[in-house]
Amino acid sequence: MTAYEGANGTARPAMPRVGMQFDRADRVYPPEHCLVGRYEVEGVQHESVRALERSVLWYTEGKGEEDLSVHHFERLDHEPLRAGDFPSGTITVRLPASPLSYEGVIVKIRWCVRIRLFFASGRDFVSEHVFDLGDIAPAPGTVERLT
Amino acid sequence: MRLPRFFGKKRGHRRTGSQAWGSFGEAVFYAALVMAGVCFAGLWITGSLGVGSDEAGLPWARWWLWLSSLLIPGALLAFGIAGLVRIVRGWGKSEERRAAAEGLANLIESMATPADAGRRFPGVPTCEDLVNSPGTILRYRLPIESPESWTLVGLGLFAVLWNAVLMVLAVGAGIDLLGGRVEWLLLAVIVPFLAVGVAGVVVFVRRLFLTTAVGTTQLEISAHPLLPGNSYDVLLAQSGSGTFQSLALTLEVEETASFRQGTDTRTERVIVWRELVKEWTHLQITPGVRFETHVTITIPDGAMHSFASEHNAVRWRVVVAGQPDRWPAFTRVFPLVVFPAAGPLHSGALPLAATGGVRR
Repeated sequence: MTAYEGANGTARPAMPRVGMQFDRADRVYPPEHCLVGRYEVEGVQHESVRALERSVLWYTEGKGEEDLSVHHFERLDHEPLRAGDFPSGTITVRLPASPLSYEGVIVKIRWCVRIRLFFASGRDFVSEHVFDLGDIAPAPGTVERLT
Repeated sequence: MRLPRFFGKKRGHRRTGSQAWGSFGEAVFYAALVMAGVCFAGLWITGSLGVGSDEAGLPWARWWLWLSSLLIPGALLAFGIAGLVRIVRGWGKSEERRAAAEGLANLIESMATPADAGRRFPGVPTCEDLVNSPGTILRYRLPIESPESWTLVGLGLFAVLWNAVLMVLAVGAGIDLLGGRVEWLLLAVIVPFLAVGVAGVVVFVRRLFLTTAVGTTQLEISAHPLLPGNSYDVLLAQSGSGTFQSLALTLEVEETASFRQGTDTRTERVIVWRELVKEWTHLQITPGVRFETHVTITIPDGAMHSFASEHNAVRWRVVVAGQPDRWPAFTRVFPLVVFPAAGPLHSGALPLAATGGVRR
């Protein structure tokens, strides 16, 4: 990871920033439609990036253990690495028909684009950009808890 | 190159252990298993375990002992090597990369199976088990998922197993008595065992009687799987005898989440939406003539589809709840599968909370 001089004179790692611009301003995509996202990595020296992974996936949140499923995965780790390869790029994916994004009471389904940077130092940095697949209404609330 | 941090931040304010250190710990555990397996195998090969020769000096005469002695090092080596291979394959790979590899394996597996309707809808359970029984009037007869049936099976198993143990003890005591010996301690154990065994049988028979006395519930539906925004014809048939104070048919959405708490795996279930389709009161059912009625159920537009993953699920179901006059209340559950609606976004979709039948 790149380093910069901190206020007290010590070297501190710089925090990378990954900007993501979706082709839909509201980030709501119908099922089986294309998602186009343009990302830009800032705050890192390009030669320090060893590889970059970009993926489109869903995961669950809530009371239960997290379940995760990757719909699209790409790893860019060309050798030799060219500095201009990774700082920005476009991800184009045809989304599946399901599962749709859902805001339940104890089960939530989130879709996101993840950009993961791997640095020559061995560290990695992940940036997550959430979008909605479908427009399912949130669950109204708890009607009854079953035992 | 720096060592990985022992603690890493996952999401929000939750702090979790480092994945690298976790994998390292697992690797140490599996390596220990392999080492133990190698040690056992070494002892076995050198004959230090004393296996391979009997008292008469015939080598490998006890072949069964020789074979069974292979189990311990074999199992240790198999578990250890499999664990190490899994860790080495996943080492240094991101969560997404590992999940993508698993997803590919699942895809190949699903392609090998014939006509899987769920393949077009990832994360949506298939409904093959719900459409393999034709109805008498409507297209499909829905399978029942009755919690009472499982209770009955549990009580029956308990009664059988408990009384089997009791029989073994009783036979032992009987043999002692015939031999002229009285084992007072054994008799003292048998008496409370007998009481519990009899109580188990009584409770099971009573539950069996109550379950069968109420009569069967049958549900048929005009189509399956269901789609949001569509309505379906449902036939409810209730047999039995006597008067029912009430009989209600509701449509529900249940969320299920499994999580680990210490060493236990717990499951929480919450009903997040319920619509009373119809309720009948003071219903008189004549023996031999079942009560039959048609109702219409509607899946609200914009509603969540059925969903199932390893630890989380969203399930749709029809619930028939009855309160007979002379018998305890009963609940019978009929699972449904709702597929995502096809087509464009449900602009202006009705939130579930806005539909008329919601009860909080």
